[in-house]
Amino acid sequence: MPAVSMTVNGKAVTGDVEARTLLVEFLRENLRLTGTHVGCDTSQCGACVVHIDGIAAKSCTTLALQCEGAKIVTIEGLAEPNGPLHPMQEAFREHHGLQCGFCTPGMIMAALDIVRRRGNDLDEHTIREQLDGNICRCTGYHNIVKAIAAGAKAMAKGGARQAAE
Amino acid sequence: MSATGIGAAVRRKEDLRFITGRGQYTDDVIRPRETRAVFVRSPHAHAKIKNIDTSAAKTMPGVIAVLTGAELANDKIGNLICGWMIHSKDGTPMKMAPHPALAVGKVNHQGDAVTVVIAETQVQGRDAAEKVKVDYEPLPAVTDPAKAKSGPQIHDLASKNTIYEWSLGDAKAVDAAFSSAKHVTKLDIVNNRLVPNAIEPRAALAEYDAGMDQLTLWNTTQNPHVSRLVIAAFVGMAPEHKLRVIAPDVGGGFGSKIFIYPEEVVCLWAARKVNRPVKWTADRSESFVTDAHGRDHVTHAELALDANGKILAMRVKTIANLGAYMSTFSSSVPTYLYATLLSGQYDIPQIYCEVDAVYTNTVPVDAYRGAGRPEATFVVERLVEVAARQMGIDPADLRKRNFVKSFPHQTPVIMAYDAGDYNASLKKALELADVKGFSKRKREAARHGKLRGLGYSTYIEACGIAPSQAVGSLGCGVGLWGAPKCASTRPAAWKCLRERMPTGRDTRQLFRNLFQSGLAFRSRMSPSCMAIPTKCSSEWAPTARAPVRSACRRW
Repeated sequence: MPAVSMTVNGKAVTGDVEARTLLVEFLRENLRLTGTHVGCDTSQCGACVVHIDGIAAKSCTTLALQCEGAKIVTIEGLAEPNGPLHPMQEAFREHHGLQCGFCTPGMIMAALDIVRRRGNDLDEHTIREQLDGNICRCTGYHNIVKAIAAGAKAMAKGGARQAAE
Repeated sequence: MSATGIGAAVRRKEDLRFITGRGQYTDDVIRPRETRAVFVRSPHAHAKIKNIDTSAAKTMPGVIAVLTGAELANDKIGNLICGWMIHSKDGTPMKMAPHPALAVGKVNHQGDAVTVVIAETQVQGRDAAEKVKVDYEPLPAVTDPAKAKSGPQIHDLASKNTIYEWSLGDAKAVDAAFSSAKHVTKLDIVNNRLVPNAIEPRAALAEYDAGMDQLTLWNTTQNPHVSRLVIAAFVGMAPEHKLRVIAPDVGGGFGSKIFIYPEEVVCLWAARKVNRPVKWTADRSESFVTDAHGRDHVTHAELALDANGKILAMRVKTIANLGAYMSTFSSSVPTYLYATLLSGQYDIPQIYCEVDAVYTNTVPVDAYRGAGRPEATFVVERLVEVAARQMGIDPADLRKRNFVKSFPHQTPVIMAYDAGDYNASLKKALELADVKGFSKRKREAARHGKLRGLGYSTYIEACGIAPSQAVGSLGCGVGLWGAPKCASTRPAAWKCLRERMPTGRDTRQLFRNLFQSGLAFRSRMSPSCMAIPTKCSSEWAPTARAPVRSACRRW
């Protein structure tokens, strides 16, 4: 089996994978980083979104070998285990942007990518449009949209620790 | 925050683990020496299984076992069951066909599980599953509930594919009311089938401890206690005290994770057989053909009214499609949960409802989001709306004329309404929707080439329907329950140890909210135990203390 090396949440990791091993399988099964979820395995639901070299990507349709040498950030990499939450995580908690929590890691990772691309002052229309690759089945999107708008603003204010990239 | 806590924003205890990626859903649980289960499923809606050849699959890399329905039967693993008995009008019990966890001899819907591969990894399991050769002889199939009775017979014990022909209400009184009616509205309504599609696919992880002869199942379940009961007492997997069912975090269910499914039975059985933990996680395609679906009613409904638009009676005939097998609570949805709410918010003197439940070659149907109650509302509200239009009465006005106005109110379909003010709700809705300004908005929309419509619907819901006197009167005696684990740390303080409850609600949070709001409640839990977070001890309302203490003593 070929070996693959990458940096995940700031740590260098190496693993033997099959050519067909998906990035999400490598993260969940090899590295035991189970915060990244698989909802649809077809790129539609966005529960598997991680950052590859700073850009949001769906890890359920990315091969692990494609990420050779890449810097990966997952939901576990946004805040230190006992440190303060990332402003976007805090905003999701404050605005009740989740119920069952399964889509939440993907939502937060996608939200950070929206901020990267569209800035910190996001209107509702922009957020809704940009979130079309992420599905929530519990509550609808109202509070998620509110959380992203507030999280984006908080990132600007707080000198925003960006994701560990 | 208000003095009672009601309406106050509450920061949820569970959010921290979810927003940091530290939630633990079934597929996140990893056990030492864990194996993977991959199912071979029927591509046909209806077919005879002439032969299953697993020899090539067994030689594939990483394969530990390839198991079939015949072996399951040899090991005396029983069928899945539907737990709610319904009797037909003629007194005969519902026709519950055998539902083996792996098909034997015949498949009855696309996705029916035929064989399972147990392998070291998921991909090895998938590779091997592709090598299982199943020789099918396709049979004619029926999928439309309206055609089920004349379709090919699916199960030997259910002639005309009929599970039951049930009724509720007084047919003669309804006939009499219709004969004196000034106006009768007749409608044919289809309430289409739905796929629940929780974002977390179903999963099961089973582990067998040979030393203790103990089985443990981690499962995407909304009710682990019913799961343990059914798998132990009915499927016969193990005595109840030898089976523990754990519901970790659950990523949505909407009803579809209430039921006991073939996959968890197979994982438990296989874990004991291979003496290693066995995990199965559905992919999305599998979810579509194995998660119980919702709705699927075909209905003819009639409403009788007098000249003033007062409703005199309602007559409903529904064919309910329960799919290829009877899922755990399927029988109750179009009966207990449907017909009993056909009165809606209206004072309807007489109602007669007939429900024919049928088998078809489709994925089983069970409770989904509202379960029977939205189906009832759809029937009632369509009837009232169409009657209003036919009689030239304003739809809101016809509703007002027929609302229940004095309480308590006994409906003809067993439910007693204790309180309500439906006029007030409608009045507020009309104001909020600015109904007076609607025609202006409609004209404005038309100028832009748009169509603008206005619709009404009222709704009444019966929550936590069992156990209750109401459904007890129909012969139902079961309910759902939970068992949070609690411990005494000092005489006046109890700490909740078991905190999780499926679908994103935390038991500790629930109790905290209850006690902050000062609500008294009686314990109906089994084992009889309630738990209160220690922090809330000073806020307990006096009325709440006694039952909690007595419940804890029982525990």
